[in-house]
Amino acid sequence: MWEKIKKGIEVRTGLGELIKKKQHEYQVPKDTNIFYTLGIIALVAYMIQAVTGYFLLIYYIPHSDHAFRSIQDIMNTVPFGWLIRMVHIVVSSLMVIIILLHLISLFIMGSYKKPRELTWLAGGCLLLVVLMFCLSGYLLPWSQRSYWATTIATNMPTAFPVIGDFIAKGLRGGDYISGITLTRFFAIHVAFLPPLFLLLIGLHVFLVTRIGLSTPAFSKSAEDEKPWTEYRPVSHTNSYPFYPHFVLKEAFMITAFLAVTFFLISFMPTLFIPEAANTPADPFKTPAHIKPEWYFLAPYQMLKLIPNKFFGITLQLILVVILLLWPFFDTKKERNILKRPVLLSVFLLLLAMWIILTVWGRIS
Amino acid sequence: MRYPIFLAGLIILIILALAFSTMAGFREVFEKEFLSKPWEVQLSEESACIGCHTSDIMRSEFQEIPQEWRKSWHYQNNVSCHDCHGGDREDATMSMSHQRGFVGTPKYTEVPDFCGKCHIGILKNYLKSGHGMAAATSKKGPNCVTCHGSHNIQKANIDIINERLCTQCHSYERAKIMKQALFVTENQIKDVDKGLVYLQSKGLYIENEKKELFRTQAEFHTLFHAIDVQLVQDSTDEFTKRLNILEGEIKDTFDEIDFRQNFSAFLMLVFAGLGITIFLYSKTYMD
Repeated sequence: MWEKIKKGIEVRTGLGELIKKKQHEYQVPKDTNIFYTLGIIALVAYMIQAVTGYFLLIYYIPHSDHAFRSIQDIMNTVPFGWLIRMVHIVVSSLMVIIILLHLISLFIMGSYKKPRELTWLAGGCLLLVVLMFCLSGYLLPWSQRSYWATTIATNMPTAFPVIGDFIAKGLRGGDYISGITLTRFFAIHVAFLPPLFLLLIGLHVFLVTRIGLSTPAFSKSAEDEKPWTEYRPVSHTNSYPFYPHFVLKEAFMITAFLAVTFFLISFMPTLFIPEAANTPADPFKTPAHIKPEWYFLAPYQMLKLIPNKFFGITLQLILVVILLLWPFFDTKKERNILKRPVLLSVFLLLLAMWIILTVWGRIS
Repeated sequence: MRYPIFLAGLIILIILALAFSTMAGFREVFEKEFLSKPWEVQLSEESACIGCHTSDIMRSEFQEIPQEWRKSWHYQNNVSCHDCHGGDREDATMSMSHQRGFVGTPKYTEVPDFCGKCHIGILKNYLKSGHGMAAATSKKGPNCVTCHGSHNIQKANIDIINERLCTQCHSYERAKIMKQALFVTENQIKDVDKGLVYLQSKGLYIENEKKELFRTQAEFHTLFHAIDVQLVQDSTDEFTKRLNILEGEIKDTFDEIDFRQNFSAFLMLVFAGLGITIFLYSKTYMD
């Protein structure tokens, strides 16, 4: 019966033949490493977030009077609701880690250079969208931690003169976090950001497929050296078909990612849900030592250290713009970062600063 | 060609921005009216009482009151100045108006009624007790603040019955017998409380159990204020039964935590196993 249906669809669409052809046609450099699979892991992570998000939507109530209670019901009354929510929470943080690692590895391997500038730009924008997902989703449980961490995060734009207060007020829908902020953040989280993410990921995957995967800068094989004056798919000196070789590598990494997710849920369940996350939001009580989530700790600590807030936030924006447009600034042909000591030093310095600021923000 | 496109884009942007800003203003008013009622109250930190009491115009001993209150059990449970002393916390000029219910500092003899506005059951038992009767007849007997203090009031437990405090008025012997009668139930309350705090830290919803414990604890402490050892001993069984039910529920929840841990560990092993299989398969495929 199943075979009959399959054949019927195949005869009418030729889909199987198309997939088979494309998978064999698409060539991947033989010496790709596991870092090349981070992109697909990020995509799988997004799909997990979407599916778990749909289930959470069934029971979640986006109202300041009911949000916390509905989350508690999901955790304790809904069968396996705890698993769905825990996966949603853990994968959100892991997704940020995966995209950051993806970005860092591509930078080190020089994979952003011509003709892949737009692929990098789309990837950078995806990171920003994921951070917006995290920020907007963080408030939804309406706990003490989410309430006060969002207070801090929405306070950050006030460092801008003239428009700062307007932005902060626009985000909150008033002078402080209220039920209005919750409905705004909910709308952003479930209706505005998902199509934006899909648009960007579509562009990113399209570009990766059209141009082809880059060869690692440190490998023996190489891409063709012809100048990019017109479009052509990249050709590698030493490659194999995408399926099954690279697909198996990706499948292995996806299972490893899922194993890590369930390891964290099983053995470190409170890593991403501290006690303040289990107390309902109370605008009357500011908890001690409240901090933004780990991925916002570095910019938060930086703002605390720089006496002029406007300078601090402008510096951060400039850094973000440089990061996004870096492939257009760095037009040198050399892809191997080890042969570019100045770039390597600046990169390591910035990475070290980010780590130090994050740890400092955590312990201060 | 570029210039007109840029100009058209700019005009559209300005129109949209203007339209959005006017809409936003209307929406803000609408939302403030209808959606944000539970959260629109001012923060308690900004109350008129605290504003004055922390300023330099206040005598230094009065300036310490907000600090003491912030350390108290009342503060932790959102009981603010005006809840006890009355007055208008939002209007500095009317904050001490008797028309707005301001009662100020009660006289020593008025203290039981002052606290008893909220602690009704305790007041009833206290008035019947030796403490209450002594206070009523001699006007010097112990009242609420003698044992609990005034602004820095802490969560009550049996440590409040101690030699230093009790011997201010009488020998410690009778108080010691009372403390012993309370000991077992009080410890069970502490254990249940510890269990609930642990469960909350693990992300479990224990609001109903917390309310039940609060009720049990409050009733038990109310009983104590009668200063009747026999009454406490007679009622201990009833409280133990209620606390045992709570302990049973806590145990079930601990089992649930174990199940969650084991289930996600099982999923972890499934994916780890799947990963190893794919890895081995990919090796043979490459060969």
